[in-house]
Parts: sequence; structure tokens; C-alpha cells
Amino acid sequence: MSARPLLAAHVASFRFHGADAPVLRDISIAVDAGSLTAVLGGSGSGKSTLARILAAWLPGHHGGELRGRLELGASGAGACIDFTGGSDDPRIDPAAWAAHVAYVPQDAAAMLSTVRDTVAGELAFGLENLGIPAGDMLRRIAGTAELTGLQDLLERDPATLSGGELRRLAIGCAVIGRPSVLLLDEPFASLDASGARTVELLLRRLTAEGTAVVVFSSTVDTLSRTATHWTVLGNTVLGNTALGSGEHDGGRQLAAGTPDILLAAGSSGEDVLARSGVVVPGAEVSGAGVSGAAPPRPVRTSAPADAAPVLELKGVRFSYDGPGASERETLRGVDLAVLPGEVLAVTGPNGSGKSTLLRQLNGLLRPGSGTVLLRGAPTDGTSPGVLAADVGLLFQDPRFQLFERTALREVAFGLGTKWRLFRRKQDDARARERALAALAAVGLEAHAGIHPLELPASSRRLLALATVIAREPAVLALDEPTVGLDRRGLAVLDTAMADATARGAAVVMVTHDLGYARARAHRLLRLDGGVLTPLG
Amino acid sequence: MSRGTLSLERLNPLTSLTGAAAVAVITTAAGQWAFSLAVLGGLLALTLRQARAAAVLRAATAILLPFWAALLLVHGLFFPEGRTVLAELGPATVTREGLLFALDAGLRTGVFVVAFLLFSFTVRVPELLSVLSARGLPPRLGFVVVSALTLLPAAAQRIRRIRAAQEARGLVIGRSLASRLLAARLQAVPLVLSLVHESGERAQALDARGFSGRQPHTSLRTVPDSVPQWAARRVLLVLSLAAVAVRVALALFGGRA
Repeated sequence: MSARPLLAAHVASFRFHGADAPVLRDISIAVDAGSLTAVLGGSGSGKSTLARILAAWLPGHHGGELRGRLELGASGAGACIDFTGGSDDPRIDPAAWAAHVAYVPQDAAAMLSTVRDTVAGELAFGLENLGIPAGDMLRRIAGTAELTGLQDLLERDPATLSGGELRRLAIGCAVIGRPSVLLLDEPFASLDASGARTVELLLRRLTAEGTAVVVFSSTVDTLSRTATHWTVLGNTVLGNTALGSGEHDGGRQLAAGTPDILLAAGSSGEDVLARSGVVVPGAEVSGAGVSGAAPPRPVRTSAPADAAPVLELKGVRFSYDGPGASERETLRGVDLAVLPGEVLAVTGPNGSGKSTLLRQLNGLLRPGSGTVLLRGAPTDGTSPGVLAADVGLLFQDPRFQLFERTALREVAFGLGTKWRLFRRKQDDARARERALAALAAVGLEAHAGIHPLELPASSRRLLALATVIAREPAVLALDEPTVGLDRRGLAVLDTAMADATARGAAVVMVTHDLGYARARAHRLLRLDGGVLTPLG
Repeated sequence: MSRGTLSLERLNPLTSLTGAAAVAVITTAAGQWAFSLAVLGGLLALTLRQARAAAVLRAATAILLPFWAALLLVHGLFFPEGRTVLAELGPATVTREGLLFALDAGLRTGVFVVAFLLFSFTVRVPELLSVLSARGLPPRLGFVVVSALTLLPAAAQRIRRIRAAQEARGLVIGRSLASRLLAARLQAVPLVLSLVHESGERAQALDARGFSGRQPHTSLRTVPDSVPQWAARRVLLVLSLAAVAVRVALALFGGRA
């Protein structure tokens, strides 16, 4: 153990500009070389804010008032900076800080430069800015690509990567600069089993080499179980909590210590995790799994209704435009029939076309050949806007689903009359009523006036879910609905699926979380090589 | 990266930028509708050879059609200097001079718009940034220049994303003009808000990755260039200056272009 931690912080308080109350209070954290720290907390606990403060993305410059101290003990960079929350607070040079403390945000795409058109170029971006010669860059890119499993993607345009591939690229961009401290916000989100293993191995290797790794998560995954230290943050109570906790301890440090102590049965540890909303999966769950535990209320009916399929895919083939498209056919003859009330889970490697498959269901993408049938009628020739009444799609990235100015407007969009230039007042009132009910169903009714992008990432996903359930579609197509959700969020999702199946709707969800899928779905399918196969 | 036949993507970004600027300057200096028409025809022929021809033509149509309609209304119907009256429609008078003025201005704008759209849809952003930086432009300024030059392709991509989200929630976009205008109205505010939000977020990420650093940047890949391209840039520059000089001389010494 070194005498001085590589990075230490005391956040007496942090308040966003214009906010009434601080989002973080009385938090102390210190990380040593070679340590693995997990900062755990439910939705709205301030994990991501704390990560951004440690990464110097927030203090003194952007967004808020920080009172406290940041201390960097990395070799050659000793610095101790005090913040009083005033306008004369010191400013941190983000590049100089990032040379020692690298940060991968929860939204992996947010750290990409967007001015590089290949994965190799994106990996090189930070090195080019440091003036590193091309030969050295090529060697480091090759090494990083191997560690992150990006070898076959180096010439791909980052804009065409799947969610999991994008996360590995973001992690690659962070580690290629060889930082002494690595901060990762929900590092396993959207990763398939093999991607999660690759990232876990990489992080273990980095800690063995002396890097201090800090993960911020709402789930106790296999990596954080082996952490040297846990810090648990309190959960902001958003609306009616499913857990019934009425106390507001959002952004406060509830507990800190070793995992063993905090997890020990009978101690107060489990209570702290539950109070914060942290998901603690069963011991048998592997990889990035969230929760194999059975839902409090059955999500699936005992057996799907004995009726005609609500949704059918027959021989669906699809490839994206571009050179070599036929060789890179994403879907190669997908056959599927989903019954009313049935819950179907689709898993498969990153980039295997799972999101592409879901977009065939509501017509955002159209099969090159083959047919999609909804209640027995082919959907070709019907616009996505019309199909939306029957198929509700939850996008993989809520940011691409949300576009309105407030949460209420977001959910109300499209609920009124189709002809929106001259809509009538009573239609607006009805749409507002339905939107408020959907917001209440996901526990966000108190946040109806908030801008969707100001919500924590997990609440953003629940808001996107509200936009789907508000129209009570016959098919719910959910793209990785569990990512980033805490206990309360998972309970909301379970209830939404249970309500849907109870009224005879079918659920098709794409997920990497096998434990979750097994506990909730009637059938589990795997999409690989463009075809669907049953999974045991 | 897709490549069309006679692809401009293969050119050094400075060559295509110089080309677009030279075409715009020379056409404006010439001020002849027939010349503008010939240049516009040439640009459209070149556009059709590009992999992203459809995107360029779509954007050009969206910009030019309303602009041309406005020109025709304003100058075609109300041109104070018009003498040769072709038709009278109440207070409006269609004159030959008015129509010719609208034609001239419309074609010149057409050349300008198509030339720069062709450039912004075919330029490889990393290469443009790299050559600007190699010529001593500070990285942040280079980023602003590149963002401005490629704003339309970026906005087009974002509008597609917003439209997908809205269609997934029941927006039906028909083929009629009214339906498209309604869709445009619903997408305009989200587009601007998301561009503003992302610019703030992007600035933080770029800063953290050392983009604003003062030390000289290196480049993973060298941007392709050649002696003929170097020579072509010089020739285009000289031609542009010459065209402006002739235009100014004619204006000063009594002639009319």
C-alpha cells in the first residue's frame, strides 16, 4: 500500500447551478495503486455526478458548485485542490487531469470525438493530441484492440457500431493513454457475455499492473464482488418507491467498507444496499447479469393464450446498404411466432443484429425479403407511424428515443390526434391524462416538467418505457430494458410487463442478462449468424 | 467507406474545398445566367457520380426549392426596373427583366449551394481537420470550421434519428407537402436542442482527450495529396482572383459584365 492514494476526494457538497439542493453530500473516497473500488447506488444516487467530479468534468468549470477537495497523488502530478463553491475556484486543465485519471461515461458515445471515421482513428485521437509518433500509435492501437476485443473492428466507422462494441471502444480510448486511475460508469452495460468477460479480464489485468480502477454501478456484478472497497451512496426517492422507503438520503454516503462486511448476512450491510436500491443478484449469476431473482409478481402468465400469433416473422432477411452488403447480411431468414401474453427473450453476441430485428417489428426497417405479420396481416406498406399503435419499441439508447422538452410532452407525443396542426383541446386533455398515468406507472409523475436529458440515465430509460406503455400496444419490443436499472427500476419494468401480458400483449425483449431473461420469459432465443435458435 | 465513380472522397480535402470555393467565386463574378446554368449542369453531373448523390440532391432540393419559389414571387411579379411587361395580375406585373433577374440569381445560388453541399457530403472530416491543423489552424478553430462545413450532413443524420423516434410513437409522414411541412415543424425544435446539448457534451469530451492542447498534434494517417492536386489548387486560386479582378475592372471602367 502506497503512503499516498493515487486519487482522493472529499465532496462536502455538490449542487448543480440553479438546483435547490445538493446532489452529493459528505462523501469521501480514496483509491490506491492496484485497487479496485466499487461505488454502488441506485437511480439518482449521484454515482455519475461523483464520477464526473473525480474525472474533473464538472468542478469549477461546468455545471455546478463544488465544496470540498480533490487530491491527485499520481507520480509526477501531485496536486491538492480545494473548492469553496465560489466563482474564484481553481479550474482544472481537463487534458492534464485526464492524462492521469481516465473516465468512461455511462453513455459511451459521449466520449467519442465524432471527428474520426474509423475505430482505429478514434483510438488514436487522444494519442495524436499528445503528439505521439505514428509508429508508436500503431503499436498501442494494436495492443489496446487486442485487450478490448476490437481487432476485427478497427476499420469500421464508429457510428455503425452496436451498443456493446461502442462501450468497448470507449474503454479502449480511455486505457490507451495508460492512466493511473480509471473511472468507469456502468462498464458492463450492453455488453454480451464475451464482451463482459473481455472487459473484466482487462480491468483485472490493469489492477494487477498497478492501475486504480473505480467502477460506478447500480448492480453488484462479479467484478464488484471482488472489489477491495465499496462505497454505497443513498438513493434519491423519485416519486412513489416500490420499496416503500420514505427517507431521503440521496447523494449521501450510506456506508463504506469491504464487500464482505457490507454483504454479511444479518448485518446492516444488506439493508444499506437495499435502501440504496442496489441490485444484488444471486450467487449463481455470472458476467454482467443483473438479477435472476423471480419478480414479485409473475411477469408471464402460466401459459400464453391459446390463440393465433399476434406477431409472426416468416423468412425475414435484411442487410444494410453499402458495399459488400450481401456478404454482411444481418438477418438471414428469421422465422418467429409470438402468442398473445407470451414473453420472449432474444439474446446473442454484440453486433449480431438484435436491435435490427426489433426494428423490423415496427417498420422502422423493412425486410429485404420475407414478411412480418401483425395479427395475421402483413405489415409491408403500412407506415411505422401507423404500426406504432400496435408495436411499442423501447430503443436501446433512450437518448435516441427522447426528443421533447419535458417528460410530460415526451410521453404525450403522438397520443392525441394524428393531425397535430389543428388538434382539439379535449384530445390534448385526454393525451395529457394518459401521459400522466404512464409517468405515474414508472414513478416519474413528480418529474413531469423536467427536461428528459436532466434525468439520471436509469430514469431516462423508465421515461422511454413510459412512452411505450402509454399507448398499450399489442407487442412490446424492448431493447435491453434492464441496462442501468436499480431495484426500483427493475420492479417498475416487471410491473409494466406483467400489466401488458395480463391484457394479452406479447413482449419481445432483447437482453444480455440471461438470469433476468430466464426468470421472466416463456422462451429464450439466440440470434447469431443472422438466424434465431432456441436456447435451453 | 463507400466510394462512387469519380469520387471526390479520394481528393485531398483542400482540393475539393478550393474547387467548391472557386466555382462559387467564378460563377458569381461571371454573372451570366447561361454560364451559371452550364456550371450547375456540370456540378449535377459530378454529383450523380458520387456514392452519396441522393443525400446531396435531397439537401439541395430542400434548400433551393423554397428559395427559388421566393425569388420567382418577389422578382418575377414585383420588379420595379421591369419594362417589358409579359402579363399583369392585379397589382403584380410579370416582366421579362424581372424573370431574367430571378433566373440569374436563382442559378447562381444553385451553383453555390450544390458546390458546397457536394463538398460537405463528400469530404472526409478527419482528413479535413488534419490538413487544417497541419496548416497551423488551432484545433478548436479547426473543429468549428469543420462543424460549420459539415453541419448539413450531421443535421440530416440527426433528423433521421429524431424522425425514427417520432414514427415509433405514431407520427405518420405522408407524401404530401403539408405532411412533410408538419413533420419538419415537429423535428425542428428537437434538432436544434439536441445539437446544442451535444455541442456542450462534446466540448467536455474533446477537452478531456487533449484536443485543445497546445503541443503539436501528430496524425495516424497521412492525408493523400499529389503534385497535380497541388497544381490544380493553385490554378483554381489564380482563376478565381482573375475572375474577380476582371469583374471589378469592368465595373470601375464603365463596362457591364
